[in-house]
Amino acid sequence: MARPSFFGLLLIAPALAMICALFLYPLGFSLAAAFTEPGGGLSLMHFRKAFDLYSTDILFTLFIVVVSTLLTGLFSIAIAGILTLGETPWLVAALRALYRWPLFIPFIVAAQCMRTFLAKNGLMNNSLVALGVMEPLQATSFLDWRGIIITFVWKQVPFVTLMLAGAMASIDRATIEAGRNLGASRIRVLIELVLPQVVQTLLVGLVLSFVTMLSVLSVPMMVAGSQPTMLTVDMAFRINSYGDYATANALGVISYAIAGAVAWIYLRHSVKREVQA
Amino acid sequence: MDSSVLAAIDVDHLQVSYGSQRVLHGVSLSVAPGEFIAILGSSGCGKTTLLRTIAGFQKAAGGAIRLSGRDVVNMPPEKRGMAMMFQSYALWPHMTVLGNVGYGLRLRGLPKEEIRARVASVLKMLNLSGLEDRKVTDLSGGQRQRVALGRALAIEPGILLLDEPLSNLDAKVRIQLRSEIKSLQNRLGFTAIHVTHDREEAMTMADRIVVMDAGRIAQVGSPKEVYDRPNSPFVASFMGAENTLDLDVRPSGAGVEVRVDDSTATALGADVPVGHVTAYFRDDIASLVDPHARIDGSIVLPGKITQRTYPGGHYRYVAAIGDRHFTVTDDRYHELDRPVGLRLPLASLHLFPKTQTTGGHHA
Repeated sequence: MARPSFFGLLLIAPALAMICALFLYPLGFSLAAAFTEPGGGLSLMHFRKAFDLYSTDILFTLFIVVVSTLLTGLFSIAIAGILTLGETPWLVAALRALYRWPLFIPFIVAAQCMRTFLAKNGLMNNSLVALGVMEPLQATSFLDWRGIIITFVWKQVPFVTLMLAGAMASIDRATIEAGRNLGASRIRVLIELVLPQVVQTLLVGLVLSFVTMLSVLSVPMMVAGSQPTMLTVDMAFRINSYGDYATANALGVISYAIAGAVAWIYLRHSVKREVQA
Repeated sequence: MDSSVLAAIDVDHLQVSYGSQRVLHGVSLSVAPGEFIAILGSSGCGKTTLLRTIAGFQKAAGGAIRLSGRDVVNMPPEKRGMAMMFQSYALWPHMTVLGNVGYGLRLRGLPKEEIRARVASVLKMLNLSGLEDRKVTDLSGGQRQRVALGRALAIEPGILLLDEPLSNLDAKVRIQLRSEIKSLQNRLGFTAIHVTHDREEAMTMADRIVVMDAGRIAQVGSPKEVYDRPNSPFVASFMGAENTLDLDVRPSGAGVEVRVDDSTATALGADVPVGHVTAYFRDDIASLVDPHARIDGSIVLPGKITQRTYPGGHYRYVAAIGDRHFTVTDDRYHELDRPVGLRLPLASLHLFPKTQTTGGHHA
């Protein structure tokens, strides 16, 4: 078996080299930098500084990403549910055609769109005023934490829905019909019979979305004001304004830790399911 | 059926289309309470569509479906109050046996203890006692289909729809479940519609058989009626009379004279259609006789034996009549190539005018 494994190694060598050069080396480097004091010894001083300056932003980031993930989950379940259980053909067809569009729009463009849409005199408020739903004086800007959440959810819902609707389409249709046949409404069928069969896919989609949102720089920078803001903006600021790589690296490690915690929850859940199965 | 009793299911000129393609062309069928109906037909004949439309999973393009007089044709499936068994079992893999069987009761808002008690009695009835907390993915095929039956019966439905529920099971379990379902139906008295392409299954389980062909009902009747007196070449060949023979029937004295291929003629007295007809018959009505025999009420076709096998109990021969071959069983031993006569009792042939023939096939 020596030959096949040698060729196998040869085949994956370019990819492996790329990962090492472009991911593992910088990762190791930034990890090391985060824990190294200027003199060269091991130290937690950069983390102390990161927490002193940015503890509010850490909590703010967590809040934004957790709320966005939950809302993404809710909207995705609703859209995928309509796509799977909907009985109005034109509505299902229209939704199927429309829901994927935000997937093809980069975060930075989405952020720019939201700036013009959510501003005090933006398209949303102007439309509401024009429709007589709201007085011009009541108009407020959404360009704060709400704007970030709206942009994130708008951008990530199609991605999670795409995965979820695919998973729902592949479950045995008869399991849905069996539920309705016994008297379950469509909403009960969705929550009690369909969702438990695709929860693994939903979890994967949400974990990937969580990590993506954690790493987006353009949206918090463009949509919301400077305080409080997300860790990505803080990292960019430490590097661009002060050349302070050490604190930026410490903030990066905190981001890794948050993403790692979510990955751990996911892994624990999937291992538990595999043991059950 | 007694017309004074309100039909449990009354399908009235039901039409169903998939897009622009019509698959049910005005089907009418009345099912009495407590009756067991089998819908029999080949793939694509519309039998599953008919069942799914009754259940509410398929929208009707026209006609009515009345359950005890109440029109349900525009009602969603969850409001129709019937139970259904699916070909794929359709058990919910994330639930236990208790969860699956008790789901219908949970939807009806029964307290937990009562659900548990009723599920236990259903499982006992199906010989599944003690499996409440087992995951359905850990069960065998036969057990899964029993759980599916239990899930359907737990809500004590008035109507049970069965969509080929036995076709994924191996032969032994299938025969066992067949009689279990039938005896449960006798005991509990629900009305059942069973869709199948298995003729024997339909014959053994049903009070009446509905044979469907190309979106229409070809014949409705008791198993014996449909088997012995098919009303069309399609029903005849579907019920196993797959051998065909062209005959020329002419009036002769008190009876008729039957000619086959201008060679053999046998006179008899019988009530059969006159003219060019096609006879449909099953292998088992044929017997071997002397090639020159003249038997009243039967036709005898001369030929010779080309093959002999012994499947046990009797011999099975292949007899060549001209360029056609027929399988026939006989208790006696015959040498190969021996000239024989193939006797076909006229009363057992299904005769239809030749123009109706829709490509019967050789044995």
